[in-house]
Amino acid sequence: MIEAFLLGVIAAASLTAATFFLKFWKKSHDTFFLAFVVYFLTEGGIRVAHLFFTHPNEGSPWIYVIRLIALILILAAILRKNYGSPAGG
Amino acid sequence: MAAAVYLIGVLTSLMCAVLLLRGYSRGRKKLLLWSGLCFAGLAVSNLLIFVDLVLVPEVDLYRYRLATAAVAMALLVYGLIWESD
Amino acid sequence: MLQTLTEQHQFDSEVYQFIFDQIESVPHLEALLLIWNSRPQPWTIENLTQRLYVSRDLALRLLQDLVRRGLIAIVPGPPEGYRYESASREQEQLMTAVDATYRRELVRISTMIHAKPSASVQEFARAFRLTKERP
Repeated sequence: MIEAFLLGVIAAASLTAATFFLKFWKKSHDTFFLAFVVYFLTEGGIRVAHLFFTHPNEGSPWIYVIRLIALILILAAILRKNYGSPAGG
Repeated sequence: MAAAVYLIGVLTSLMCAVLLLRGYSRGRKKLLLWSGLCFAGLAVSNLLIFVDLVLVPEVDLYRYRLATAAVAMALLVYGLIWESD
Repeated sequence: MLQTLTEQHQFDSEVYQFIFDQIESVPHLEALLLIWNSRPQPWTIENLTQRLYVSRDLALRLLQDLVRRGLIAIVPGPPEGYRYESASREQEQLMTAVDATYRRELVRISTMIHAKPSASVQEFARAFRLTKERP
């Protein structure tokens, strides 16, 4: 019960954070923030997915892949901000 | 494979935390403090997953993993609401 | 005439770039210009609070932000004062242009400042800069 509650808290907070980062992207036109939008959306989505697994440690391997992609997007965004083309906001 | 993903998660979160807290020390914008602490907490949460699954598989740390992530996210949401103008 | 116009245009874009990069809010700009216009006389927090019609807390934060950006300097007290910090002749020319442009185009500049992402959001993105000279 408490695990489901905590999953819900994390999912709701992640969705909220994603919305803020979406707003930051809209205001600043800096695509850097989009990586965080994706990251927090996937984190929220993963927590929701965990509701359907009784043993969350096993779960579907797809969850690891999605999380890995979100993390790589953040690293890529950081690299692009520092070494990417000047046109990339 | 799973362990590798969680370790990458730890390192990425840790890097974000360090960069944001460094930014906070320079500009004193509280948004960076709260988001830096959030990523530090997420790094701890990811580390706990690794500890839980690999180091102490006989003990279930699931609630503690979730609790640290929940606290971390609460800090971030607090910072986003009050400090992002 | 054309040369004057193109010089003006070049100044304007530098002014707007300066405001975009360094100015966090309209009170920040007004404080900076007040301090600039009475240089090298320092201002105390109390004087600034009265002149700008802001709270003392806000005035203190404004001044700390401006000090951190190297735009003004602290004069040790008591009472503690803040005066313009001259970095270079180019900086002084820029400040003159900023002052003149703000007087002329107050609405446009205020609108531009309000359209910017907040300083906190800009700092967030800036925190991930590992190399120099990149947005």
